[in-house]
Amino acid sequence: MTATATPTATPATPAPRGPRRARGGGGQAVRLLILIAIVAVVLYPLFWMIGTSLKSQEEIVNNIGLLPNEFTPGNYADGWTNFDFSFGRFFLNSAMVSLLTVVGNGVSCLLAAYAFARLRFRLRGVWFAVMIGTLLLPGHVLIVPQYILFRSLGLVGGEWPYLPLLIPQFLATEAFFVFLMVQFMRGIPRELDEAAKIDGANAFGIFRHVILPLSRPALVTTAIFSFIWTWNDFFRQLVFLSDLEDYTVPVALTLFIDSTSQSAVGPMFAMSVLSLLPVFLFFVAFQRMLVEGINTSGLKG
Amino acid sequence: MHPATPPTTGTHAVPAYRTPVRRRRLIRGMLAAVVALPLVLGAAGCGDDEASTDPNAPVKLSIFWWGGEARAKLTEEALALYTKKNPNVTFEKTWQANQGYFDKLATLTAGGNPPDLFQIDDNYLAEYASRSTTLDLTPYKDSGDLDVSKFPKSLWQYGVVDGKLAGLASGENTQGLVYNKTLLTKNGLPEPTTGMTWDAYIAWAEQVTKKTKVPGTQDPSADYKAFWVWLRQQGKDLYKGQELGFTAEDVTKWFDLWKGARDRGATPTPDVIHEGNATDITKQLVVTGKAGASWVWVNQMPELKKNTKDELGVIAYPGDPSAQWARASMYWSVFKGSKHKDVAVDVINFLNNDPEAVKILGTDRGLPSNLDLRRVVSDDVTDPAMKQSIQVESDLAEKFGEAPQVPLKGHSKVRAELIKAAENAQYGRASSAEAAEQFIAACKSAIA
Amino acid sequence: MALTTAPDPTRRTGSVPTPAGRRGVGRARHGDGLAGYVFLSPWLLGLMAVTAIPMLLSLYLSFTNYDILTPFSEVEWVGFANYERMFTADPSYWHSVRVTLTFALIAVPLKLAAALGVALLLNRAWRGVGLFRGLFYLPSLLGGSVALAIVWVNMFNREGAFNSLLSVFGIEGKPWVNDPDWALETLMVLAIWQFGAPMVIFLAGLKQVPTELYEAASVDGAGKWRQFVAVTLPMLSPVIFFNLVLETINGFQGFTAAFVLSNGTGGPVDSTLMYTLNLYITGFTNLEMGYASAMAWVFLLAIALITVIFFSTGRFWVHYSDGEDR
Repeated sequence: MTATATPTATPATPAPRGPRRARGGGGQAVRLLILIAIVAVVLYPLFWMIGTSLKSQEEIVNNIGLLPNEFTPGNYADGWTNFDFSFGRFFLNSAMVSLLTVVGNGVSCLLAAYAFARLRFRLRGVWFAVMIGTLLLPGHVLIVPQYILFRSLGLVGGEWPYLPLLIPQFLATEAFFVFLMVQFMRGIPRELDEAAKIDGANAFGIFRHVILPLSRPALVTTAIFSFIWTWNDFFRQLVFLSDLEDYTVPVALTLFIDSTSQSAVGPMFAMSVLSLLPVFLFFVAFQRMLVEGINTSGLKG
Repeated sequence: MHPATPPTTGTHAVPAYRTPVRRRRLIRGMLAAVVALPLVLGAAGCGDDEASTDPNAPVKLSIFWWGGEARAKLTEEALALYTKKNPNVTFEKTWQANQGYFDKLATLTAGGNPPDLFQIDDNYLAEYASRSTTLDLTPYKDSGDLDVSKFPKSLWQYGVVDGKLAGLASGENTQGLVYNKTLLTKNGLPEPTTGMTWDAYIAWAEQVTKKTKVPGTQDPSADYKAFWVWLRQQGKDLYKGQELGFTAEDVTKWFDLWKGARDRGATPTPDVIHEGNATDITKQLVVTGKAGASWVWVNQMPELKKNTKDELGVIAYPGDPSAQWARASMYWSVFKGSKHKDVAVDVINFLNNDPEAVKILGTDRGLPSNLDLRRVVSDDVTDPAMKQSIQVESDLAEKFGEAPQVPLKGHSKVRAELIKAAENAQYGRASSAEAAEQFIAACKSAIA
Repeated sequence: MALTTAPDPTRRTGSVPTPAGRRGVGRARHGDGLAGYVFLSPWLLGLMAVTAIPMLLSLYLSFTNYDILTPFSEVEWVGFANYERMFTADPSYWHSVRVTLTFALIAVPLKLAAALGVALLLNRAWRGVGLFRGLFYLPSLLGGSVALAIVWVNMFNREGAFNSLLSVFGIEGKPWVNDPDWALETLMVLAIWQFGAPMVIFLAGLKQVPTELYEAASVDGAGKWRQFVAVTLPMLSPVIFFNLVLETINGFQGFTAAFVLSNGTGGPVDSTLMYTLNLYITGFTNLEMGYASAMAWVFLLAIALITVIFFSTGRFWVHYSDGEDR
């Protein structure tokens, strides 16, 4: 059946409905307008956020409109230099933690997912159930025991205080991603494994030559979420980091507002807007890899 | 693969339910072994010995507080001064905003890793003190190493829990009713005054609403500190010993007082009241322009002022001002297991009694506790809003009554329950009496 | 699979014969045993070293009066007291269960529908699609930040933007976030608004659908709707399944939004007191961590039950290309 495929179905334009969709640009324009309208509604709160980041302190409290009466771009400079360390420091810390988390999750979860999705071994079902089970316990009751555990292992507050945040990520403890990858891998036809097996590949060979290349959508998704969720994670970073110079963006953002004694809301909004940029760019860059379709037939060679 | 199998970890709890004692004990034993594991590992990790007796041996003291950037700068400067005078002592400083502060402090304590010296407030002082987390400072006070001779007596006493001095006040504040002066003068209305009765105050607020279309006052029925002052004026208190110091009748009266005020239009609508019930400065109705007056702490004036162009005034809560007291806005406490207790206490003493240090810290944590130094600091203040709050607090200080006992453990739950009950009444979901019953029941279980 | 005209997905690699018979041959049932455990080892190590001990500790603590501040050695065993209290003497517990169920039952399906709808819109490659995906994902980037709380309250209070929008249509609004009858709905809107994560997963899943299947269906004369039902849905079913399971778990755990919107209180009048928020307040604010742990384990059992139901119905509608439809 693959033989009948239209030869124009290149990876960049996976929509296969070429012949039928040759209608004019009118419908296209309407659809675009609808999309823009939806986006405008969905994004209004974010526009408001940007507007607020340009308001003076007194206006933030009293003017709830979209635009500032008194344009106050100084919030950005104030926010950036508000602390002993420039806000850039917190960006770097967050970027480092997030990127390492991406690597850790990507590698460790992929290995585990391959085992669950493709290999047969004793107790597989039990381990899988345990893995799903670890997703279900509300995290707040684990913080204290985890802190105690990491502290007894001597990992808390060392020279490099990020170990307790990162070690779990390199040990596939985020069951979400393992499960995600398992689901994706189960969408990969087993015939490909079988074909490779006939060619003499063992489990490692199949992983390397079949599963790994075909797991790109799952890996990209994992990368996106790992990055963004780590970038936004507050509680664990708050608990494990104690030195201002080690603080990450979410922790630093809370420093602007001490509800009983300080209210630098403008600078906080300014830095919140800035902190969206890296994740937004990361997302746009990585989602590109989701644009290209997977053409399984091209992989047999 | 059988993904449908329930997680094995989850099944432990179930069989234990109906098993005979022997098996239950076995399960318990296994769990205990799991629990012990990190502790055993932990014991290996904690090999440090006790502090050496040499007074000049280098000491690294960990210190933890909440606050904003301004507080951090001042505190760091004061600590640097201490290091300058005592070169062998350096500090490991951690500060953060109040969001999550107590979560982290509790977690650090659980991990056997609490800071030597930490900031705490009357919400949690009893929680920590009653679990022997804080060092009893009484011996240091008695020996004079911790000098409280210049403190108002009621102020340092407001740090005593079960006969032990659990924390030393790092500043003083008291309840303050902040009102919008500009709004009043623009409309030719009189300003409220300290000592006016609650009824007179509500009548005043009603008048403000009528004239300005801005509700005269925030409804404080959900506000524990207003309730507390009112209780003390009725000869009651929030707590007495290990019990509540009030009855359902008192609560009903309190709720009825404000139901009357709402019915007369002296307050905003319940949704706006709810907005103002948040403790954040930026949400206080007096600065958001949604009410003529808000119930805060006197020392929050300067920060409130930053959020509005209008002139603000501050007075005591209505009724007899002697129901207010010199409240410790926050305390410094020392961790009982600290290896450097003496040094930590000395630092507290320094932060409260050293003229230079107190001058640096200013009124950031409230008025300085040391009365001599308070005068010096007050003279130096230039910020008009701060001047105003110092003035009011100094005037009130002459009328202050005895300090009440430190709130019992469970106090934060009591506060939350009061908000819930009061809002139930405000939204008209319960009568004052029903809400009061609900509140009393919840309080009893909270402090049990 | 009951989808009669669906092009048989297993045919897509054409030349390879159906592997049903082949799989069992040559390898024993647990033939990959060693390799399996090699690949699983990081996860196993993580389970043993990082996940399991804290989990079992919390299970143990659920039978104690642990309050965080008291050292483990002095913690008292209270048997099933915490569990008894939960089921017999804590009205706010049951209130939070109701709030959570309401939230999950409404917000989860709507969020999934929004995510799938937008993903389908943004699936095709056209110029600017990346930007639109980014824009739709933007709300999710905010997570549970401090700024978000302020933003959301200002959208949905009495003077908020939402009411301005309503007034255009002559509708008088309500103080949504501050109204105990509507605060939970506001929370649902927030959860649905942040539909980025399932959207991305749907997008990735759509990309995995082999293009040949559409070609084949189109050759067979299947229309757009037919293609969606016969190709897209079955091929996407593992991902739909994943999103359903995870968003349900997420919905029940929904903490961040409730925490952020109510300033950590669950107000007004407990109208947004989600289960996990109640648990957090119990554990950290009231320092009743033993009781909170008991709540967590009851939660685990309840969600496990729901998950088991999902997995057992999954075999009827989830189609796996690896041929193990169970």
